Amino acid sequence: MKKLLFSLLVLVLLAPGLAFAGGAAEVDDGVLRIGVILPSGRDDMSWSQGMYEGVSAVVANMGAGNAQMAVTENVPNPVDAGAAIRDYANQGFNIIIAHGSQYQNPLMEVAADFPEVTFAHGTAFETSSNIFAYDPQAQLGAYLFGWLAAQMTNSQVLGIVGPVRAGDAIKYNYGFIQGVEAANPSVRVLESYTGSFGDNIQAKEMAEAHINARADILTGTAQQVVGAIQAVSENDGVYWFANDTDQSPLAPNSIIASQAYSWETVVQYMVDSHMAGKLGGEIISLDLTNERIQLVFNPVLADLVPADLMAQFESKKADVASGAIQVRLPE
Amino acid sequence: MSEFFQATVLLGLLTAGVRLATPFLFAGLGEMLSQRSGVLNLGVEGIMLIGAFVSFFVAFESGNLYLGLLAAILAGAFMGLLTAFVSVTMKAVQGISGIGIHILGLGLSGLFFRLTMGSISTMRGFPRLAIPILKDIPVLGRVLFNQNWMVYAALLLVPISWAVIYKTTFGLKVRSVGENPHAADSLGISVTRVRYICVVIGSIMASIAGAFLTIGQHEAAFVNNIAAGRGFIAVALVYFAKWNPLGVLAGAFLFSMIDAFQLRIQIIDIGIPYEIPVMLPYIVTIVVLALSTRGRVLGPTALTKPFVRGVHT
Amino acid sequence: MQLRIWNRNVLVNWGVPIAAVFLALVVGAFFLGLAGANPLVAYRSMFYEALGTRYGLTETVVKAVPLLLVGLGICIAFRTGMINIGAEGQMIIGAITGTAFALSFPGLPAPLLILFSFLAGFVGGALYGFIPGILKAHLNVNEILTTVMLNSVALQLQFLLLRGLMMDPQERAYGTGYPQSASIVEAARLSRLIPRARIHSGVFIAIILAVIVFVLLWKTTIGYRMRAVGKNYDAAVYGGIRVKRYLVLSMVLAGGLAGLAGTIEVVGVHYRLLDGVSAGYGFSGIVAALFGQLHPLGTIPSAFFFGALLFGAERLQRSVGVPSAMVHVIQGLVVVFVVSSDYLTKRFLQKRVDVGFKRLRQEGVAAPEELPLQGRSHE
Repeated sequence: MKKLLFSLLVLVLLAPGLAFAGGAAEVDDGVLRIGVILPSGRDDMSWSQGMYEGVSAVVANMGAGNAQMAVTENVPNPVDAGAAIRDYANQGFNIIIAHGSQYQNPLMEVAADFPEVTFAHGTAFETSSNIFAYDPQAQLGAYLFGWLAAQMTNSQVLGIVGPVRAGDAIKYNYGFIQGVEAANPSVRVLESYTGSFGDNIQAKEMAEAHINARADILTGTAQQVVGAIQAVSENDGVYWFANDTDQSPLAPNSIIASQAYSWETVVQYMVDSHMAGKLGGEIISLDLTNERIQLVFNPVLADLVPADLMAQFESKKADVASGAIQVRLPE
Repeated sequence: MSEFFQATVLLGLLTAGVRLATPFLFAGLGEMLSQRSGVLNLGVEGIMLIGAFVSFFVAFESGNLYLGLLAAILAGAFMGLLTAFVSVTMKAVQGISGIGIHILGLGLSGLFFRLTMGSISTMRGFPRLAIPILKDIPVLGRVLFNQNWMVYAALLLVPISWAVIYKTTFGLKVRSVGENPHAADSLGISVTRVRYICVVIGSIMASIAGAFLTIGQHEAAFVNNIAAGRGFIAVALVYFAKWNPLGVLAGAFLFSMIDAFQLRIQIIDIGIPYEIPVMLPYIVTIVVLALSTRGRVLGPTALTKPFVRGVHT
Repeated sequence: MQLRIWNRNVLVNWGVPIAAVFLALVVGAFFLGLAGANPLVAYRSMFYEALGTRYGLTETVVKAVPLLLVGLGICIAFRTGMINIGAEGQMIIGAITGTAFALSFPGLPAPLLILFSFLAGFVGGALYGFIPGILKAHLNVNEILTTVMLNSVALQLQFLLLRGLMMDPQERAYGTGYPQSASIVEAARLSRLIPRARIHSGVFIAIILAVIVFVLLWKTTIGYRMRAVGKNYDAAVYGGIRVKRYLVLSMVLAGGLAGLAGTIEVVGVHYRLLDGVSAGYGFSGIVAALFGQLHPLGTIPSAFFFGALLFGAERLQRSVGVPSAMVHVIQGLVVVFVVSSDYLTKRFLQKRVDVGFKRLRQEGVAAPEELPLQGRSHE
């Protein structure tokens, strides 16, 4: 007992001793500092990488003398994210982007303490005077891809390799299925979920199972799709529609098109707003009208989509963008 | 529902099951050897991650898959030496040291991936290698003999492990060290040496299991935390197997076949939440073990107990 | 004489692990260097941020609370001979049941609401610990297998509820559909101790529970019997202890404490149930318990230390720009070194005791040949 109390004392006394000097001083040199918190790695070929590249592009355009960025990655849990958000705020960052729905609570908490800093998070809807929320309308491009896939499939079977049946994944999948139904209700969509976000091997096996059940065009979301795309590229005559970023470099001979979020324009919008004195208070939608969602076709496979089908696709796209075609969200 | 039982789907299921079982076979057989000698290596997951990264990195840079595999073997041996040093020489509490090795492996694989490669790359892994004649056996041929050679190697390791453990002097030494190290010691067997050998071999096999997740796939890629818990499952399967190589085979196949099955049952959409099928392999493994265990099955008596000459625990 | 051995023991008992941590950091410096950081700067920032600033200290405590609670459960389970790897799953289930209660009875007065939420969390975790306990005791199903498997099951259960029954209605209304529950009412939340920091009153609960677990394990018959079962199963059977009952009880208590950790994370930090609530504490808590010598009171400073380590190391990617994987490298090294140093401690102590007895014998005092070492045995 004594021993333990003693050791506690030693630890407590040791603490400040170990922590000699240091501490970041806030600087006001007119440089815009952007802090980004990512749930997975900045090289995940999907959600996190998209945002990382978006912020990088904005900072590069502004020049190193005017803007700087810092990244905290692989923060799946909101406890560490809370510390990261407050760190950036304490260090005098001007814009802090917490790139995940799970960061909502810590973000709101810190934002209340730093009214002069702009905070942003998404996919989300909660805003305040210094909080932006952003909300990619994943279902829009998904609808169009579903529509296109239903026209292109030879086997009349399509597959969705899902992570967890919620969030952006379910929005995307729901849109895809609606698109298929609009084009050809007799085409079957196989839909299944691995139950995790990052298990590549499992996603790969799931894609194999779909292909096994004669699916010849597959799609899916989250960082685990790297595995599913591998399975697709192993099989001739099987193709993939991608989400989050342009994933065609992963499998140039298999990816027909990608729905890519243009995070650069979103970040640019927030930077401009921040500089103009508007620190938040808006839900920023990523959709086809504002071109923050882009449907990028893989030039390698351009021959796969006949010109007349492509023309129809473009007119569908205009209808979805204008709202003439309503894509429903999951209830 | 009927389409589910089509021959192609069933064949696909079995083929996938064998493929999914392969990493469990490598890692599980290795862990079994280690435990037979009395050392619980809970760090399999971390060692798998290191094997997965090192093999992919070396294969990617050199363009030679076998060089990648060799690198995984060396990395596995190194991690094995570290594990053995901690668990055997330093007599650490094995459950905890294993968690340390796991965290370290997770960290090192992620760190070196970022420092050396920096982004996800893909390459061709080992191709399928149909075995002539055998591949023409109905069903079995397609399922077992149209995979890549690492799958065959894993399957071959089952009888080899069995023979080594039950039919060789070395196996006898391993069992005696795991059952009664003091008696073994008094017979002049070096407990420390036997345990080192077993832990190192076990770690090499865990590392190869990791390599299977990258270069053992037709299209290979490394991503962070690619093992995704498979190392822990492999350790769990050793208990399922009751320290018998055939048991490891049974456990690995049971778990993987149900996994392959649940991936397919989701597809036909039978109207239950998908989480239930996802849980299935875990629950069935527990239930099967619970139903099959009668009485007290003794593992290696000295399992997790460090050996100190003259001190009986 | 007595006193001198005592003081040296204290020195060895704590000096060796601290030296081990130091060595781990020396090896870690190599990897920091590889990653392009100045190790001295990195470590200075790591310790300064975690222990030298008000905010860092509060965050360290925020992390220490679940580590301590999980660690206490681990103390009980491991002391009884149950290698419980399932704290992650037990934490998740506890967070689910605790949150479910808080969401179901928002009208209760604050003290009752918090108390019953804790109870619900404890019961949830306890039930989830009961499964491997009963399977081990009566069917001899190995607990490592069951706890590893049940971790995965718990995660799926969590997703099943969070995207269905327990999903925040607002997530539905806005169509974002993120798997998280609604926020719990103010009354269900633990008070925060300092403005602009997340440190909450859960820290007191955790410390009080540490004392209770200490009393349970060392001052009661139940605790004595649980430790007897863990120390020597066969002897305990022979001694007439109903071992099965204590195997189950230890897992129930361990699961309950992990479940409580889950609930405290919800009512103290997040205010809602969401993915990632267990945050790896289920594994780190095992390490914290070992570092605390599987002693409930020793786990207090140990949880604090690991809280600081986790917080400080996690910050490295911001302070010196090393890859995030460095957290795991440093944490893994510390665990490996500390767990290895345990043996040295025992050897040092044994030598001291030998020398002491030798001298006593020379002085003509009767002394035993060998003294069983207390306190550091984990078997």
